[in-house]
Order: sequence, then C-alpha cells, then structure tokens
Amino acid sequence: MFTLPIMIEQAVNGLVLGSMYALVATGLTLIWGTMKMLNFAHGEFYMLGGFATYFGLMVLGMPPWLVVPIAVFLIFLIAFIMEKSIISPLMGKPGWDISTVVATLGAGIFLQNFAFKFWGGDFLNVPYMFDGVLRIWGMAFAWHRLYILALSLVVIITFWQVVKRTRFGLALRATAQDNEAAILMGIPFRRIYTITFGLSASLAALAGSALAPIFSVNPWMGMVPLIKALIVVILGGLGSFTGAILGGFILGLCESYSVLFLSSGWKDLISFSLLIIILVIKPSGLFGAKEW
Amino acid sequence: MAQMSTSKLLTRLRVTNPTTMWGVFALLALLPLVIHNDYYLNILTLCLIYAALASTWNLMVGYAGILSFGHQAFYGLGAYFSAIITIHLGVSPWLGLPLGGLFAAFFSLAIGIPCLRLRIAPYIAIATLAFSEILLVVCKNWVSLTRGEMGLSGIPPLTGFRLGEFLTVNFGGGSKVPNYYVMLSIYILAMLAMYRLMNSKVGLALKSLREDQDAAASLGVDVTRYKLIAFLVSSFFAGVTGAFYAHYLSILAPDSVFSVGEMVEVVAITLVGGIGTFLGPTLGAFTLIVGLELLRGLEDYRFMIYGAMLVIVVLLLPNGLLLGFHNGINRIRGLFQSGKTT
Repeated sequence: MFTLPIMIEQAVNGLVLGSMYALVATGLTLIWGTMKMLNFAHGEFYMLGGFATYFGLMVLGMPPWLVVPIAVFLIFLIAFIMEKSIISPLMGKPGWDISTVVATLGAGIFLQNFAFKFWGGDFLNVPYMFDGVLRIWGMAFAWHRLYILALSLVVIITFWQVVKRTRFGLALRATAQDNEAAILMGIPFRRIYTITFGLSASLAALAGSALAPIFSVNPWMGMVPLIKALIVVILGGLGSFTGAILGGFILGLCESYSVLFLSSGWKDLISFSLLIIILVIKPSGLFGAKEW
Repeated sequence: MAQMSTSKLLTRLRVTNPTTMWGVFALLALLPLVIHNDYYLNILTLCLIYAALASTWNLMVGYAGILSFGHQAFYGLGAYFSAIITIHLGVSPWLGLPLGGLFAAFFSLAIGIPCLRLRIAPYIAIATLAFSEILLVVCKNWVSLTRGEMGLSGIPPLTGFRLGEFLTVNFGGGSKVPNYYVMLSIYILAMLAMYRLMNSKVGLALKSLREDQDAAASLGVDVTRYKLIAFLVSSFFAGVTGAFYAHYLSILAPDSVFSVGEMVEVVAITLVGGIGTFLGPTLGAFTLIVGLELLRGLEDYRFMIYGAMLVIVVLLLPNGLLLGFHNGINRIRGLFQSGKTT
C-alpha cells in the first residue's frame, strides 16, 4: 500500500489540492492584511467562479483559454461592485469590525440562494480542460491536475512580484502596515480597499474555475473551501503571505496522505485537529505573523 | 433631552433596568393567551430557542470579548447527551435538561482552556469553529452511539404531570403551550443568571476585559478565570437549550445542531439585534425568525431576500436594531420637547 509510486501520486494530489487552498487563503489573508476584516462571502466568489466556468464551457461552448480569464474578470467586477456598495459605506464607521461580518454573511447567503434559485441545486459536471494522462514509471497524473498546479504556481509568483515590485503593491503594503500613515502619504486607501477586495475575489474565482472539473459545481460548493482557507490562514499566521501559501500546501499534503489510512468520513478530522495542535503549540501560527 | 451619542447609548444598553427585563418576560409569558394557533406557537418556541442561544453567545462575545464561533457545539452536545441518556438509560427528560447543560459546560472547559491562550479574535473564532466541526465529524461517524447521519428518532418528550385534580400537563404529541412555557423558563433562567452576573464583581471584571485586557490584567483582574466563568455559564445554558430542542422535536440529526449554519444564524441574530446589549439578541431572534417565516410565501426567493435584508439592516443600522429603536424613541421624544419649548 505504501509503495513509492503511490506516495508520489498522493504527493502530487496533495500539492494540487494545496495549491487551491493556497489561492483561496491568499485572498482571505490579503483582505485581512489590508482591511482588517474577514470576508465570509469569500467562498461564494469561489462558487461563482465555478458557475462562470460551467456556463462558459458547457452552455456557451467557449474554449477553456477564453473561459478562465473571462470568468475571473467577471468575478472581479462583481466583487468590485460589492465592495463599493456594501463594504465601503461601513468601513471606518463605529462598529465596522462587526457590521462588515454581518454584511459579508448576508451577501454570502444572498449569493448562494441566488445561484440556487436561478441555476438550480443540481451537481453540475464540468469536463477536464486538458484531457489525457501523463504516465511516468508506472504512475499516472491527469494533465488537468498538472495544469492546476502550474497555473497556481504562476499566479502565486506573479502576485508576489506585483506586491513586491509595483507601485500598487507598495501602496498595498503601506496600507496594510499602517493605515493612517498611508492616508497621510496620500495613498487613496478607499481605492486600494476596493481593488484588494476585487483581487482577492479573483483568486477565489480562479480556484473555483480550476477545481470545477474535479469537484462538481453547485450553489454550496463555497462552504468547504472557505473553512479550509480559514484554517490555512490561521495555520500560517493571519496576514502572512508566505504562511497562507505554505499553509495551503501543508494542509493539502496532510489531507491527501490521510486518505491512505483514514476512511473518508473521518478525513475531515485531519485539518481541524492539525489546526488545534498548531494553535496549542504555537498560538501565533506556523509563520508567526505580526500581531496585526 | 439631547441626542445621546451612539457609544453612550450602547454602554447604557449593556445593562438593562429590571423593569424593562421583567416587562419583556411578562409579555412573552402572556403571548400564548392571545395566540392559540399551533403553528404560531411553534415559531414562538423557535424564537425563544434562538433568543436563548444568541443571548448566551452574546455573553461570550459581546461581554467577555471572546469571539467564539463554536456555540453550536454546546447546543449539539446538550441535545445529543440528553437524547442518548433518556433513550438508552431511561433517565427522565427533566433530568436530561440540566445534565445536558452540565455536559456542555464540562466540554466547554476542554475547548475554553486552549482557546483562551489565543489573543487575536479571528484565531479564537477559527479554533472554536474547528472544535465544533470535530464534534460534527465524530457525531456523524460514531454510528453505534448517535446513529450517524440517520439521526436519532423517538427521543421521549418531557414527561407529563398532573396539576391538581383535573388538569394534566402533557408534552408529547402536538401540545405546544406547555413546551413553550418550558422553553420560556429556560430562557428566563438564562437571562436572570446573566443579569446577576452582569451586576456582580464578575460583570465589572468582564467589562474591564472587553475595554482593555492588558490594563485589566495589570490591575490584578484574573483574565482567564473570568473568561472561563463566561464560557461555563454560556455553554451551560446553550446545552440546556439543546436538550430542550431534542425532546421538543423528538428527532435529532448531526447537521440540525452542529452545523455552521446554526452558528451563522446565531451570529446574524445577535448582530442584527445589537451585540453587547442585554436585550438586543432577543429582539434580533424574534425579528429574524418571524421575518423568515413571513417570507415563506416567497418560496425560493426567501433566503435571497433574507440575505439581502441582513445587508440592508446593517447598512442602515450598523449597531443593531435595539440601538436604532432607542435612537428613534429619543428622536421622537426630542421632537415633542422642542415642540413644547417653542
């Protein structure tokens, strides 16, 4: 059972799953870092990404290379409008830390049931964007899974470079570090908030789009990734980029190896137990983010 | 009277004057005299269940400043414990209620002690959520004890008794009124316990914790001890409420008590009613549960509108309905007074 090929296959599966956790978690940590709020509608952007992919591929019959960017851009727009209309008016008012929780919870409930009402509660299947299987040394890897891995690595690295090197990234980091000082330096923090929110949603949508062929598309598909991403950001230290990415991979690997010795019903225990053990040993998370 | 500032009014609403509190209790006790319809009574009982859950959650979050997202764990533990001991051991459901509460309170120590070491609110939220998700997984998979996803059925209702010569109080079948009064008693006991707590040394300590934990600790407030007291009281009553729920419905499935959805409901109720105010969660429970029932006619649009309403309420009244209500009254009062002087 624990032969080398199986171990390697599970490692690849874990990395694929982990890369998705990393994308969703990076979005959450990005919002926490700059806006100091938790977005409970984050899973719904993932769900919308899945649906946009389904409609693009299956209903409109567009090719995958066109569907993915369009889906991501659409979700960016939706998030942009959502931030402008319901988050921005609450920011900075008394009790905003709590009112934004209700607002995002409400928006999440709305989006889930919007999808349920208009697109139905069935589990919709999406075909692999890349057919076929890569075979090396008796191991098999679906091309689609390798595509997911490559895609997320490219996105994560690009994102990293944007944050590190561009003027926007500088403004983002400044706002995250000290909001008031950033405002004094003339950084348009409202615009930064809106763009950050949009970008964070795009990352979730990208993950939803890439995973749509692996898990099927339905209105409630966002719940699990949201909870997993919350675990990942805490594992890695809230507000830490490195933490979100490495935390995502660690969780993905742990889960995929756990399949070898746990029945699927008990599998979910892994992530939660891992989280609690880490918090007991090291309350600030693995990569000890600063106390924001 | 001039307009009171928001923060001042919020501070005032943290405690309640006994008259308002007993007034609310009396009003709730009189409701079944006016409402005879079983369907409405069922909704009102649900309102009380959520009012109790939200108020006890509010004690943890709004007063002690522990952002717990695992309240459903205590609710579910109380429900399952009482259901199992009454089915398998033949314990009286009346004893099941407090025992369910004690079981939940006992478990809250296991959850509370590691979580209280954490300082940053979202960490506590996710850690408590993780605990309750672990319980959900265990509950779904420990089939020999909980029957897993099939759920428990045939949980005995509260045992009936005779009042005087002629009157028999029965809790089984479709009898809604006696169950309503039992739940009302649990709710009132929880509120009175919290009222006593707020007006004691503990209340003062909790207040100082919420304002500034470090300053409180430096002045000799035993932070961990007071937080654990809040945890214990809160989880005990959540457990009793869960036990009542099990005997009231007589069926129990893991997802109906341990799910994140229950927690979201409690959060929404508390925040819409007004977090950190004594009666806010009760107002929120009645508004949202009754509101959700009124939307039933809209069928599939129901939860969409519910979600949108949450957003709209929070945009219009970011500090909750109770505060909005008081602001409204003050404004009207202000209008009358300015009318008199001119």
